[in-house]
Amino acid sequence: MSADELTPAQAARWAARTGLPLPADRHDAVAATANHIHSVVAVLRELDFGDTPPAFAYHAGEEKHHAAVRTVSDRSR
Amino acid sequence: MQPFELSLTAAADAIRARQLSPVELVDSVLDRIEKVEPHLHAYVTVTAEQARRAALEAANDAAAGRLRSPLHGIPMGLKDLIDVAGATTSASSRVRAGHRAEADSTVAARLSTAGAVLLGKTHTHEFAYGLTTPQTNNAWNRDRIAGGSSGGSAVAVAAGTATFALGTDTGGSIRVPAALNGVVGLKPTYGLVPRTGITSLSWSLDHVGPITRTVEDAALVLSVLAGHDPRDPASPAAPRADYRPGVAGAGADLAGLRVGVPRNYYFDHVDAEVEAAVRHAIDQLQALGAQLVEVEIPMTRYIQATQWGLMVPEATAYHEQTLRTAPELYQADVRILLEAGQLMPAGDYLHAQRARTLMQQAWARLLDDVDVIAAPTVPATAVAADEETITWPDGTVESVSDAFVRLSAPANITGVPSLSVPVGLDAAGLPIGMQLLGRPLEEGVLLRVGHAYEQTQPVRELAPVA
Repeated sequence: MSADELTPAQAARWAARTGLPLPADRHDAVAATANHIHSVVAVLRELDFGDTPPAFAYHAGEEKHHAAVRTVSDRSR
Repeated sequence: MQPFELSLTAAADAIRARQLSPVELVDSVLDRIEKVEPHLHAYVTVTAEQARRAALEAANDAAAGRLRSPLHGIPMGLKDLIDVAGATTSASSRVRAGHRAEADSTVAARLSTAGAVLLGKTHTHEFAYGLTTPQTNNAWNRDRIAGGSSGGSAVAVAAGTATFALGTDTGGSIRVPAALNGVVGLKPTYGLVPRTGITSLSWSLDHVGPITRTVEDAALVLSVLAGHDPRDPASPAAPRADYRPGVAGAGADLAGLRVGVPRNYYFDHVDAEVEAAVRHAIDQLQALGAQLVEVEIPMTRYIQATQWGLMVPEATAYHEQTLRTAPELYQADVRILLEAGQLMPAGDYLHAQRARTLMQQAWARLLDDVDVIAAPTVPATAVAADEETITWPDGTVESVSDAFVRLSAPANITGVPSLSVPVGLDAAGLPIGMQLLGRPLEEGVLLRVGHAYEQTQPVRELAPVA
């Protein structure tokens, strides 16, 4: 297990902290699924977002910037 | 030819010419439902008596020369996430037992005003959170998946049990089942068709649009559905338009049109028969005068991460209350995703939102160079109902849901319109779809190209449901 993965007990504590108490028989499965989702989404941490804002509800096609896509590692080059 | 076999366009022409009455058409489709629905399970509910009453009203209006729109008297199904006043919106879930919609969704109201006749509500993968729609069977082979999440709508249109239907699309849920059942599916530009009154899976990725037999049919439905709704924060103030190919642009000649053919991503890990059929269709576009331009799809490493980073926490947020009060009512596959979604940090969600902005900018640059992009809709045809993974020739194993979302997600993330058009069958007789992606609000271009392609092909027949 890598350092950024949740154990079943940690998953249960995190869930409880968000207001979702999990029965004991859910801890293993929720931890495994949460760790899988994390492994997919964590790749976004490579990106250097600069001043890029989020786009929660947007009008498609209205924004047209010409910034190049950069990763965090590009910034140090 | 029986009335249930008619495309929307053909049925509308026949009604306008008084060769066909809405009553005959609706009766024919209801008879078809009675005959084949037991094999398909496309519908949650069929409201036959209401449909017959609406058909009679439409017939009386037609006889008096009052046609409300090209959809006048046309029978259709709505995915059961779409509110119809007084009816249950089941979301194909036990969680919604006893639900009753207080008002029509914007799309249901617009279809009703246009004179369309509601046949019933079609099955979705529970709350649209999945790509198979396990309740429903594929229209071409009942041992294969319908695809999802708008599986009921696509199967009904393919089998002749609805002349058209609406679906929703958060990661491919209109286009995937459309492709797997050999019908046309249009995911419009984000916000163009208002989502007011539709159960959300993920607010910033959800779209609603038509599933039809032909591209021209999709254009007719879009012309009724599109238009500003101040209650949907994504709804653009664009004026209503007529999207029919003959109105929106030139005919079958595609001279001057630049068609982007991806050199990466869209043809990676794609079944050989699917690739061959799509490339053959692209050759047809070239034969119609289009110029093919090789293009590089940007930020592909971040597509799945962005899709999941947006969808997972938004879906969990939508279901926050019922996940606490009645978690046992959800199906196991949906419940676990909703629970795990609770554990995503806000920082990761913001990464996905900001990555979306970057991806939109990169796609805008890409679409400066070409007018449309042509690609497979789904990397494989419909898998068997008990298959959970696809193994690619290089040994890579991919879950069916990951594979089916993979080529659809970019249009959900960026909001660009995407049209799936049938381009043939594989050796097992299962349908293959090609998607055409374009600039925001340029549905007219996609419909023109899709229609031009369809004109080069023999008229498609309904799925051969036993």
